Amino acid sequence: MNNHLVSRLIGANLKRFFAEALTQLINYSIILLFGLLVGAMVIWFSGKDPLAAYGALWKGAFGNWAKFADTLDRSTVLIFSGLAAAVAFRTSVFNLGLEGQLYIGTFAAAWVGFTFHDLPRVVHIPLCMLAGVIAGGIWTLPVSYLRLQWNVPVMVPTLMLNYIGILFTQYLVVFPFRDPTATMAGTPVLEASARLPKLMKGSVLNIGFIFALVMLFVVYWFMFKTKTGYEMRMVGYNPSFAAAVGMPVKRSAFLAMLISGGLVGLGGACVVMGFFGRFMSSFSVGYGWDGMMISLLAQNHPLGVFPASLFYAALANGALTMQSQTGVPQTVVGMVKGAIMFFVTIQLFVAFFRGRMRKWILTSTG
Amino acid sequence: MDFDFNRIITITLFAATFRMTTPILLATLGGIFSSQTGIFHVGLEGLLDIGAFFAVVGSVQTGSPWGGLLYAMVACTVASLVFAIVHLEMKANEIIVGLALNIFATGMTNFMLVAVLGATGYFQSPLIKGFTPLEIPVIKDIPLLGEIVSGHFPLVYIAFLLVLVVHLVLYRTPLGFHIRAVGEKIEAAEAVGINPKTMKYLGLLISGVFCGFGGTFLSLSYLNLFSEGITAGRGWLALAAINFGEMRPVRALIACLIFGFADALALRLQQFGLPSQIVLMLPYVVTLIVLGASAIHRERRKKVVLKISPEKKDLKLRVGA
Repeated sequence: MNNHLVSRLIGANLKRFFAEALTQLINYSIILLFGLLVGAMVIWFSGKDPLAAYGALWKGAFGNWAKFADTLDRSTVLIFSGLAAAVAFRTSVFNLGLEGQLYIGTFAAAWVGFTFHDLPRVVHIPLCMLAGVIAGGIWTLPVSYLRLQWNVPVMVPTLMLNYIGILFTQYLVVFPFRDPTATMAGTPVLEASARLPKLMKGSVLNIGFIFALVMLFVVYWFMFKTKTGYEMRMVGYNPSFAAAVGMPVKRSAFLAMLISGGLVGLGGACVVMGFFGRFMSSFSVGYGWDGMMISLLAQNHPLGVFPASLFYAALANGALTMQSQTGVPQTVVGMVKGAIMFFVTIQLFVAFFRGRMRKWILTSTG
Repeated sequence: MDFDFNRIITITLFAATFRMTTPILLATLGGIFSSQTGIFHVGLEGLLDIGAFFAVVGSVQTGSPWGGLLYAMVACTVASLVFAIVHLEMKANEIIVGLALNIFATGMTNFMLVAVLGATGYFQSPLIKGFTPLEIPVIKDIPLLGEIVSGHFPLVYIAFLLVLVVHLVLYRTPLGFHIRAVGEKIEAAEAVGINPKTMKYLGLLISGVFCGFGGTFLSLSYLNLFSEGITAGRGWLALAAINFGEMRPVRALIACLIFGFADALALRLQQFGLPSQIVLMLPYVVTLIVLGASAIHRERRKKVVLKISPEKKDLKLRVGA
């Protein structure tokens, strides 16, 4: 009898798992479809052929192995900022300052990269990364202080620090650290020992992508398998309950902010060491903002960040090809992203399908 | 670089303060309406962006800045309506909807800038008809006051008048009482027969209209152009002002004036050879300081209240943010 019960339990769980997985699959298919449909409509209104545009977009993102590798490379920094947003949002800390933390972290990493000479690679690269993490983390401290000491909601302060951080790094590259030989305002080129080794010929894909993949699992492990991570999730889920059972609410909020800034700073370190080679003002085309959208698309789950960032990277890379081949402006991607965000927030399809799908699967298979 | 304060602090600086305050003030007043119904409106920035863009489109199409204003108001109201439906009917989190609105607004204006106006980055054309400054008959002849107060664009006066109007509506009319009741205690409001949903719709739509005004001012006064990122975080400054003013229009005006002054000072200091990047940080740094200072003041006040009457332990001061 016991045996029977066990097998029934496993069966029910498996079925529930598949029901949930199928629901999510359909949910996301519909969200992406609707988002792309909005884009298609806009392209059509502007007098271009949507199918040709999307065809070019696909080719630009996944057309051949080199393009695919470039898309993977583009997703590197997105994974980091997506993870950063996921950690913060899971703890209900609305860190909207990823963009500023990214700029500060990237600059710090670049500074270590071009200032120290004659270091072996195994020392220089981790040093740059450390600088990125620390600087990104430090940039969150004023907000955490205001939030935890004086109850100021984090949203507006993080945003103000965005502007301050971007302007500050801009000042640094225009005045004290400007490389006079550079055509754009940028710092000197990083030492060769601070550049990330490439993984593939003919593509910009580098070892930073591997770091990003590792961090996916590290963050997953931290948030879901450790006590601190559990506390953070509980604080995010229901702060008064967490406080009532004695969880460190303030420490969790502080950690979430700090880790968030550190992660996005690490992403900046990877992108400057792997892709740009020098810090330039306005290097980020909204990577921080994309990270927030990615996290929301992934329902703030660290592992869900990977497919979501890949999708965003494909949109970004494909859009360039689309613009050059079909003349459709790449800004249309911004509209698609915004539309997708709307459909994600609505969660209309989840609500509609979840009950129905689950019922159907559970009843039809007995 | 010599700091001659007599040259920096001039009459033009105070006049500039008024005009830099205006867009923040309009967004703030709009945000106050939705905050008073209990909705923290993160989408103000996006609404300003949409307003600024459609004001330019309207101005080009109708050949009049007032047509631009109409276009902007309609566009912002529609955007607010979408926000309202998604938040109130589909029960989506207001903060996330607000963020979605901001992102969508940026994407849409950037795309339409290319697709409709055929420009990248910014659009400037003699076809854009801006407002003309308004001289106030008697005041303009008063020596100092005239130079500061007179000769602004109509929307500046409208904005400052609206502070009074919003105050009166919120605190002296039944409608304002209903709006505040919904935000204060939704169950109590429902019990006396107020429909909270109607009030929330109303609050959101009014913030849309006000942001339409604000957006129009951004693009159709002084420079007559639309550029990417024209809002420069003014929607967020508005949220900070609402927080500072604890959702009261007259107090929020003080915060707006501080931000406006910082903005004007930043513009002025740029002409004195200071690095523009450092100077442009000023409004944002000031906002941080104002937010922190008002929060410290609030917390201290809370402590005093608790000391006098310890039974108010669950006292919660509503700040709207």
